[in-house]
Amino acid sequence: MSAHSEVQATERPGAFDIGLPDILFTALAVAVIAALGAYTDPAWVPAGIAGLFGFAAVHAYDKTTRISVGAIAALCALFVVKMWPTAVSLTGGEPVVESPTQLSWLIGLPLGGAIFMLFMPRQAHGLLKNLTLGIMVLTFAASLPLLGVAMGSGYHFDQNLAWIPQFGIRYHVALDGVSYWLVLLTTFSVPLATFVSFGSIHTRLKDWVFSLLLLEAGMIGAFVALDLFLFYVFWELMLIPMYVMIGVWGGSDRVKAAVKFFLYTMFGSVLMLAAILYLAYAYGKVAGAPSFDYFDLQRLVLPRSTQVWLWAAFALSFLIKVPMWPVHTWLPDAHTEAPTAGSMLLAAVMLKLGTYGYLRFCLGLFPEASIEWGINLAAVAVCGGILYAALCEWQQTDLKRLVAYSSVAHLGYVMLGIFSMTQAGVEGAVLQMVNHGMSTGALFLLVGVLYDRRHTRQLADFGGIASQMPIYTVMFIIATMASVGLPGTNGFIGEFMVITGTAASLRLGHFAGIQAVGAALGVVLGALYMLTAVQKVFFGPVTKKENEGLPDMNSREIIGIAPLVAFIFILGLAPNLFLQSISGATTRIIRDVNERLDASPPPEFHRGVPKLLNRRPEAPAAPVVAETK
Amino acid sequence: MHLLASLFPNDRFGLLGLIIALPLLGAIVNGIWGRRLGRQAVTAMALTVMGLAFSAALVTFLHLREVAHEAGHGSHVRLAWTAWEWFHTAGGRSAHNIPIDLRFSVDQLSGIMMLVITGIGFLIHLYSSSYMADDASFSRFFAYLNLFVTSMLILVLGDNLVVLFIGWEGVGLCSYLLIGFWFGKLENAAAGRKAFIANRIGDFGLIIGMFLIAQYTGALDWDGIARNAQQLLAPSAAARVHLWPVGGGVYQGFWSFLQPAHPLTISAATAASLALFLGCTGKSAQLPLYVWLPDAMAGPTPVSALIHAATMVTAGVYLICRLNFVFVLSPFAMTVIAVVGALTALFAATIALVQNDVKKVLAYSTVSQLGFMFLGVGVGAFTAGFFHVFTHAFFKACLFLGAGSVIHSMHAHIHDDVASQDMRNMGGLKKYMPVTFATFAVSTLAIIGTPLTSGFFSKDEILFKAFTSPAVHPFAEKLAQRGLGVWKQPTWIGPTLYVIGVIAATMTAFYMCRALFLTFFGEFKGWEIGEAKHDHAHGHDDHGHGHDDHGHHGPAPAPHESPWQMTLPLVVLAFGALFGGWLNAAPFHFEPLGEWLEPVFERSVKLGVEVVGGEEHAHHLMWPLAGGGIAAFAVGSAIAYWMYIAQKGEPAKKIAESNKALHQLLLDKWRVDEFYGATVLGVTEATAETCAAVDQGIVDGLLARATAATVAAGGFVLRAMHTGLFHVQGAAMVLGIAGFGWFFIAPHADVAVNELSGTYTVQAAPGIGYAYRWDADGDGKFDSDRFGDQRVLAVSVEQGKTKQVRLEVKNVFGLTGTTSVTVGTEAKKGATVVGLR
Repeated sequence: MSAHSEVQATERPGAFDIGLPDILFTALAVAVIAALGAYTDPAWVPAGIAGLFGFAAVHAYDKTTRISVGAIAALCALFVVKMWPTAVSLTGGEPVVESPTQLSWLIGLPLGGAIFMLFMPRQAHGLLKNLTLGIMVLTFAASLPLLGVAMGSGYHFDQNLAWIPQFGIRYHVALDGVSYWLVLLTTFSVPLATFVSFGSIHTRLKDWVFSLLLLEAGMIGAFVALDLFLFYVFWELMLIPMYVMIGVWGGSDRVKAAVKFFLYTMFGSVLMLAAILYLAYAYGKVAGAPSFDYFDLQRLVLPRSTQVWLWAAFALSFLIKVPMWPVHTWLPDAHTEAPTAGSMLLAAVMLKLGTYGYLRFCLGLFPEASIEWGINLAAVAVCGGILYAALCEWQQTDLKRLVAYSSVAHLGYVMLGIFSMTQAGVEGAVLQMVNHGMSTGALFLLVGVLYDRRHTRQLADFGGIASQMPIYTVMFIIATMASVGLPGTNGFIGEFMVITGTAASLRLGHFAGIQAVGAALGVVLGALYMLTAVQKVFFGPVTKKENEGLPDMNSREIIGIAPLVAFIFILGLAPNLFLQSISGATTRIIRDVNERLDASPPPEFHRGVPKLLNRRPEAPAAPVVAETK
Repeated sequence: MHLLASLFPNDRFGLLGLIIALPLLGAIVNGIWGRRLGRQAVTAMALTVMGLAFSAALVTFLHLREVAHEAGHGSHVRLAWTAWEWFHTAGGRSAHNIPIDLRFSVDQLSGIMMLVITGIGFLIHLYSSSYMADDASFSRFFAYLNLFVTSMLILVLGDNLVVLFIGWEGVGLCSYLLIGFWFGKLENAAAGRKAFIANRIGDFGLIIGMFLIAQYTGALDWDGIARNAQQLLAPSAAARVHLWPVGGGVYQGFWSFLQPAHPLTISAATAASLALFLGCTGKSAQLPLYVWLPDAMAGPTPVSALIHAATMVTAGVYLICRLNFVFVLSPFAMTVIAVVGALTALFAATIALVQNDVKKVLAYSTVSQLGFMFLGVGVGAFTAGFFHVFTHAFFKACLFLGAGSVIHSMHAHIHDDVASQDMRNMGGLKKYMPVTFATFAVSTLAIIGTPLTSGFFSKDEILFKAFTSPAVHPFAEKLAQRGLGVWKQPTWIGPTLYVIGVIAATMTAFYMCRALFLTFFGEFKGWEIGEAKHDHAHGHDDHGHGHDDHGHHGPAPAPHESPWQMTLPLVVLAFGALFGGWLNAAPFHFEPLGEWLEPVFERSVKLGVEVVGGEEHAHHLMWPLAGGGIAAFAVGSAIAYWMYIAQKGEPAKKIAESNKALHQLLLDKWRVDEFYGATVLGVTEATAETCAAVDQGIVDGLLARATAATVAAGGFVLRAMHTGLFHVQGAAMVLGIAGFGWFFIAPHADVAVNELSGTYTVQAAPGIGYAYRWDADGDGKFDSDRFGDQRVLAVSVEQGKTKQVRLEVKNVFGLTGTTSVTVGTEAKKGATVVGLR
């Protein structure tokens, strides 16, 4: 029938390759799982079946890989079963003890690990790799107890210690529904990216693992810090390892990209620092003693004229980090030059700090200014992010650059959702942050796979890859579909919630409708650019000799991509597992903003001298400060 | 049945989950392990799951019938099953949470769709097992096909718009994958992408429709939308969609010229309906988004039969039938649907007149028939439109499979894809492929509306309804009483639609008969028939050596009939095509299907009928109007017979030659693709290029490079000074010391005025060794001749008055400097002195 059937001509016609032993083995395994489930925990049954499925699905690989993938599948299934809403309510009888040092362990493990790595021998690659992965997996394991806690609308794992008391600087970390999944996303994706990177990073390994560990500590710290000074410390701390990673292990133009990345981010953060200092000072003026604590500063109501400037300093810093038009151009350069793991972490976690910052700090500290200027930022998100970036993306000839621009477009949805100030919009935005971490992380991983084989990322250098690397193609198409928001994958849920949330938004006024339409238009453009790229890379005949006989994904890569693909579907099919812990916090954020705006309504907002409100009900109890005077 | 009822209560009807899960299981197994399983096991797997799904669907349908019977005549029944709570979103006036569950339901409408999908799906799977037998990617094909059936079932069984959307996009994905199934050829992959993107443009509309519906009705499930549908028509200004000014704002100041005298608004019903209809035009290949469907024929022929004829492309019609109660609220949208449908029917038919590729003819025929369906639902004849979906599924699937059978046998000796589908290479196949011929002929008779076949009943009813049922606003009178005008459909629309429909039907009769005659009648033109010279086993899997020769040189065996796996489905489908019409034989007042579907459309039909005052008055027109359809059939097929059988195609050639330009234009499909390429795509691409250029040139250039350049320029200047030469730096130091010295030697008389509750203090700036003297009373003379050390001076000023204060400073070098300052605030005229600060 086809003149094209030379592709994939390896099938053995009529072969029935699954014999009796396979069937017996499967039956036995199922029986064991069922017995185990009956006697211990029913959750083992789906987990076991999923494990078996994972084991059987990657039949083309060796035993170790198959067992690893099986284990990953089992863990994912276990996660779904344990997190299932009904399951939580059933087992939610006894309150979980929240260890106040939990978050400090999450920061301390990688931080301490990084320092520990300094004392390891530079030549012992195996040791370095295993130790690093061990520390990261340990961190991940240490983050799992978070899953057992019902988030609600408050803060958890609160730890508040004095640090520099004379300036009101404290070590204050806590977790709420917004940072919850972002922390887990970090502890989840860092070991993954690290594991994958060991396949392609062979030089200066010690420095590499040091940077990765430091980066992890910085990112987790920035997500949980609730003291603005501490936040700033972590914010800067994660900047340096990433700068080094791009600059040392990057592509041909790495130094320029690294400097650009650093300067852009630094420019914003210095302004933010100034604003933070002013805030603490202003608080000190009103309350008597300065404080950098988030919950203290949240009480401060500044007059509009002051607030707008402080807000602008914060917002610009976050705008650069997100990044959003017009300060986004560092991102394509940084992504293109960064090593695969660097790109993965940059996209999966670091960019989220920008949007997280909007949600936590801009809306939390300056609600009036945020609402006043939110409409404009939403417009920037639609025009400059979703539409403009998508159009730019279509014209890219470099695969990695293309994916980088897609990040701008996706984070446009997040920004839009945040400023829509509706329950669905904000929840969708938070979920979309996690989604983007999964699907774009997967895309960067996959682009890295191709780059490792061909040392080029130009679309024109490929073509017909599908016939050479079928498994890779399937994975890439799954990630693509997640990226363009096919229902059933994770991308759809976030986008849909943001779009409907935007349409229903009252804060966006009469622009709500048109902005929702613009966001919906992004769906078309998304398909346009991603599918064009897929077609150029994968389909058609193999035109370049170098592309013939490219090896398919190896064990390391398949183990790396497996959890991401699993979560693409888990997030797409059961988003409630995630939304249930997000919604409380988003409700609180929206309510806080609305209350502030009711008290000092637009367009005048607050006038006159700064004043202090009461502490928010959800805020953790203020620490008892020993009177020194 | 009782067992079923006890196992599955109506609201937890888990069998639906099984119907959906079975094909999904097949897709997963074949997709992951297909290569190891081998062809027989893959076939067995795919056919088993489809067979089981069909059985389960049949059982469900029978059960549904029983439930409907129990519930009494004319009641809308539904068996539903909630898999789990999916997510939620915001909507409604108060932006409340709308739960979106992964919920499936089957009612009278989706029950039929479910049967068609699994039934025809099973037949096409059977057919494919032989048709694709020699393809290298056999298992991949069945994985995709099973996945498609899953998605399609999700589409029709979804209980809310969002679940429907999973299926809606899922079938789009499968269609994309299957069109580009032979991705080794770039054109196939490009056709797949085109289909996906055209569909996505439609989905853009669907998403807009969804959020509009969510926002105005506060629900997304069928029941909820039905309950609150009237919210879409609330006459208040807030309930209308403001097109201009966008969103209902007011343009002020500089932009005030944009402010219209009357804001341009449409009802939410119209907006939502049109947006949803945009989705339908994408999925169901209507103007202007139909362009992907003809290209989609690049996929394997069974795919064309299943996806691009029988099931997926009718999803748009299904959606409109499903949400009929929304669409009828907007006569304008209904009219748009009907007009678009009629124009598509006509437009596609003109292209089909001259195509030579048998699959292209069928593709344009599909577009045209879909146009008829939209014409039907657009005039409010939902039953008729949906009935055409049903009959079309049979005869068009049969036609495609028949064409596939022909191509299959042609392909045995003509290895070029284009040539093997060219009807000019066929002819006379009647005697070589009798079963294929018979079934193809029967289906052709059905599609051209031969009286008493299925196509006759469905098409005629559409045409009848087009003539008689004008779209009327259901609340026109009520709204008119409140002084609100509503859009009224012009009276000429109905008859015009009828005429267009009849012309399109005539063309249908002509081109379908032409295809039949060219393929099966006359002489065989493919190759010389005889004993094969070389016994080189010419399987299908050795096409890899660039076998692009048109036909064989030398004789080859005659085309052969296809194996039973391919002919059996043809026979079954042809049977359906022939007799399926009796399910709804309106002219004979025998309408089981109509009665079955009545509860689904009850609400909207009632709304319509109330206003029109019943359509009984039009009933006498049924037979006269049927005459149009019969005439179309007779005239079209007669011309084709005369041209291609009686005159052996001579007149066709003559007409083509005498109207070369027109003929070429039709062959080139009105060059719509080129037109789109130059306009829509061109503009988008140009915009994208501009964006990319701006991004690199202006945004990046200005923010990054220009900043960097400024800093670099500063550095360049500074670097020039920092030469490191001792004497230059020494000179600079001397200059610097001189500068500082001068600053210290020169006296600086600076004052600051502070005001505290009406009393003013003037403070002089301090300096090393400074002494001060003041002129506090403003008389121009210093108060004292001597310089003192009084640095702060209190000044009393009457309210509303000002005073001039002078200061002189003397430093240790004896140099003096002086300055003066005005203290106090001058009273403004008319302003009260009190409170002036």
